[in-house]
Amino acid sequence: MQPRDLNAEIKQLQKEIRILARKLERSETDRARLEITNRNKESLLKRVIGELQTSQVILEKKGADLEQAFNELSLMQTKLVEVETMAALGSLVAGVAHEISTPVGTSITLASTLMDETQLLLAGLKSGQLRRSLLNNYIEIAQESASLILSNLNRAGALVQSFKQVAVDQSSLEKRTFRVKPYLEEVMISLSPQFKQTLHTIAVKGDDAIEIDSYPGALAQIATNLVTNSLLHAYLPNEQGILWFEVIQQNEYILIQYSDDGMGIPENILSKVFEPFFTTAREKGGTGLGLHIAYNLVTQKLQGRMDLESEVGKGTQFNIRLPQSIHV
Amino acid sequence: MFKIAIGHSNDPDSNEAVEEILEQCLNSLVGATPQAGLLFSALNFDHSWILQRINEVFPGLELIGGTTDGELSSVLEFQQDSLTLILFCSDNIEIRAAVGRNVSQNPTAIAQQTAEAAKRQLSYPPKFCITIPESLTTSTVAILQGLMLGLENIPIFGGATADQWQYQQTYQFYKTEVLSDAVPLLLFSGQILFSHGIAGGWYPIGKQRLITKVDQNIIYEIDGKPALDFYHYYLNDSDPDAVYPLAVFPPQEENFFLRGALGYDSAIGSITVSGDVPEHSVVQITDASLEDIVIASQVAFTDALKNYPGQDPQVALFFSCAWRRQILGTRANEEYQAIARCWKRPITSCGFYTYGEIAPLRENGQTFFHNTTFVALLIGNQ
Repeated sequence: MQPRDLNAEIKQLQKEIRILARKLERSETDRARLEITNRNKESLLKRVIGELQTSQVILEKKGADLEQAFNELSLMQTKLVEVETMAALGSLVAGVAHEISTPVGTSITLASTLMDETQLLLAGLKSGQLRRSLLNNYIEIAQESASLILSNLNRAGALVQSFKQVAVDQSSLEKRTFRVKPYLEEVMISLSPQFKQTLHTIAVKGDDAIEIDSYPGALAQIATNLVTNSLLHAYLPNEQGILWFEVIQQNEYILIQYSDDGMGIPENILSKVFEPFFTTAREKGGTGLGLHIAYNLVTQKLQGRMDLESEVGKGTQFNIRLPQSIHV
Repeated sequence: MFKIAIGHSNDPDSNEAVEEILEQCLNSLVGATPQAGLLFSALNFDHSWILQRINEVFPGLELIGGTTDGELSSVLEFQQDSLTLILFCSDNIEIRAAVGRNVSQNPTAIAQQTAEAAKRQLSYPPKFCITIPESLTTSTVAILQGLMLGLENIPIFGGATADQWQYQQTYQFYKTEVLSDAVPLLLFSGQILFSHGIAGGWYPIGKQRLITKVDQNIIYEIDGKPALDFYHYYLNDSDPDAVYPLAVFPPQEENFFLRGALGYDSAIGSITVSGDVPEHSVVQITDASLEDIVIASQVAFTDALKNYPGQDPQVALFFSCAWRRQILGTRANEEYQAIARCWKRPITSCGFYTYGEIAPLRENGQTFFHNTTFVALLIGNQ
C-alpha cells in the first residue's frame, strides 16, 4: 500500500472513530431522556386506564340506575293502568247506584203506602166497621202497588245483573265465550248514566249471534274508554251526537268498528292519541291514558290490532280486529 | 434556472465537517454561484469557524441558520451531531437575508422591522419567508406576529432553534454571525413555486378538563385546581413533559391544537405553554405512538405534493418537532424514510428538528406557531 493511501485510510478511520465516540456519548444522553419519556408514558397510561376504569364503574352504575328507573316507570305505568281501570269501575258503580236508586226509592214509597193502607184496613177489621167500599179500595191500591213494586224491583234486579256481569268481567281475568253484540249492549246500559245529561244516542249494530272466545272484561274496558273519549272530546256542549258500534264477522276475526260523528282529530296529533299521557283535555280531567289502555288491551290482552281514521268536522272511527279465539 | 446543492457531514470535528459539506456543495454546483443558503447545525460545533469558512468559499452568500435537535438531508438522512448546508442558485429567483437582534426586548416590533428591512432589499414582491428564530428567550408567537405585520400575510415557514433538550441557550446564524436572542430570515421572490403540508400525530387521551384560569400562555388553573397538579397527576409527580402536550379545545370547537409545557412555577402551580390558550377551553393530556407520528409526516408530505402548483418540486425542506424525535427514539430515521418512499424519485431535501414549527394551517391561510408538528415545504422554479 502506498503511503498516500495509508494516510487517507488513517484519516478515514480517525473520522469514523470521532463519529463513533460522539454517537456513543449522544446515545447515553438520549437513553436517559428516553427513560424519562417512557417512565412518564407509563405513568400517564396507568392514570388514563384508571380514569377509564372509573368511567366504566360510573357508566355501569348509571346503566343500572337507568334500568331501575325504567323498571320503576314500567311498574308505575302498570299501576296507573290498574288505577284507571279501578277508577272506571268506580264511576260505573256510582252510575249504577244512581240508576238503581230510582226504582228502589219508588218501591220504598209504594211499599210504605201499601203498609199504611194495610194498617187502615186492620183498624177497620178490629173495630168491626169495615165497609165494602174500603175493602175494595184497599184491594185496588194493594194490587197496583204490588205490581209497581214488582216492576220497579225487576228493573233494579236487571240493572244489578248487568252491572254484576260488567263489573266482575272488568275486574276479573276470566276468559270465556260470549256473544259480542249483546255484551256490548249490556256495557252501554252500564254507561247510560253518562248519557242521561246529554243529547247523544248510542247504538250497537251487527249480528246478535257473533261469538268470541276472549276476555269480556277487557272488551268492556275498551268500549267504555272509547265512548268516554268521544264524550270528552268529540262534541261541544249541547251538541247532539250519534255514537255506534258495529260488530262484523271476518273469517276467524271479529271486526268491531266504533264511530262517532264528532269534530274529528287533527292530523298533527292523530299519531299521538295512543301514546300514554297524551291528552288535549288535561284541564277537563283527562289523564291521557284512556286510549293508551284501550290500545294495550287490544294489542296485548286480546291479541288484536287497532287503528283509527279521522276527518276533522266529520268524525272518528276506530277499527278493532280481534281473533275469534285467543291463545293463552 | 434553479439549482440546489446540499452538503451534510456527521464528522464531529468542526473543520473536517465544514470542509466535507463545502466539498459536497462545490461538486453539485459545478461552477454555479449560490445566492442564499440555510445551515442547520448540532450544538457541539465551532459555529463561528464554520460560518467563516462558508463565507470564504461563497462570499456574499445570503446565509441564515441555527442550532437544532437533529438534522435531516437527502445526503445522510437523519443524523444527530451533524452539520447540513443547503444552497440555492437561480437567475430568476431573488433571495434576501435579514436579522433582528436582541429580539426579546420587543419581539413584535423588532421582527416587524426585520421583515420590512428584508422586503426593501427585494426588487419583486416576496412570495414567502423562511425564518429560524430564537425559541427560549422570548415568545415565538410574538415574533411571528411581528413578521406577519411586516410581510403583510405572505406565508411564513420555518422552525425555532434548539439546543438538544438542554433548554439553556440556542443559537441563530446570520451570514458570519453566531447570535442568540435573534430572528434571522430569508425572503424569496421572483419565479418561484412552493406548497406545503402539515400534520401532527398526537391524540387526546384521558379525561376532559376545563381551563378555569388562564392569562395568554400561562395556565393557572384547570378544573379550579393549580394547573401543575394536572401534570403531577398524570406523570406521577414528575415535572411537565413537553413530549406530552395539552390538547386544547377552544370553546364550542371540536378540533384541538397542541400546547407543550415550556416551564412552570411550582410556587403558584402555573404552567407556561408554547402558545396562547383561549379562556374556558377544554384540555386533555395527549399521547403519540411511533406509528401515528410516521403516518402524520407522510400525510404532511403527500398533502404538500398534492398542492404543488408546478410539475415537480426541486427541493423539500422539513421542519419537524424535537418532541417527535423524542418519541421516535432510535427509529427517528423512519420518519425520513417514510417520506422518501412517498415520492417516485429520490428526493433532494434538507431540514432539522426544532423547538417549534412555523407554517400556515392550510394553503393561503394565516401562519401559526405549532408544536409537535411536521412541516414539509416544497420549492421549485416556475
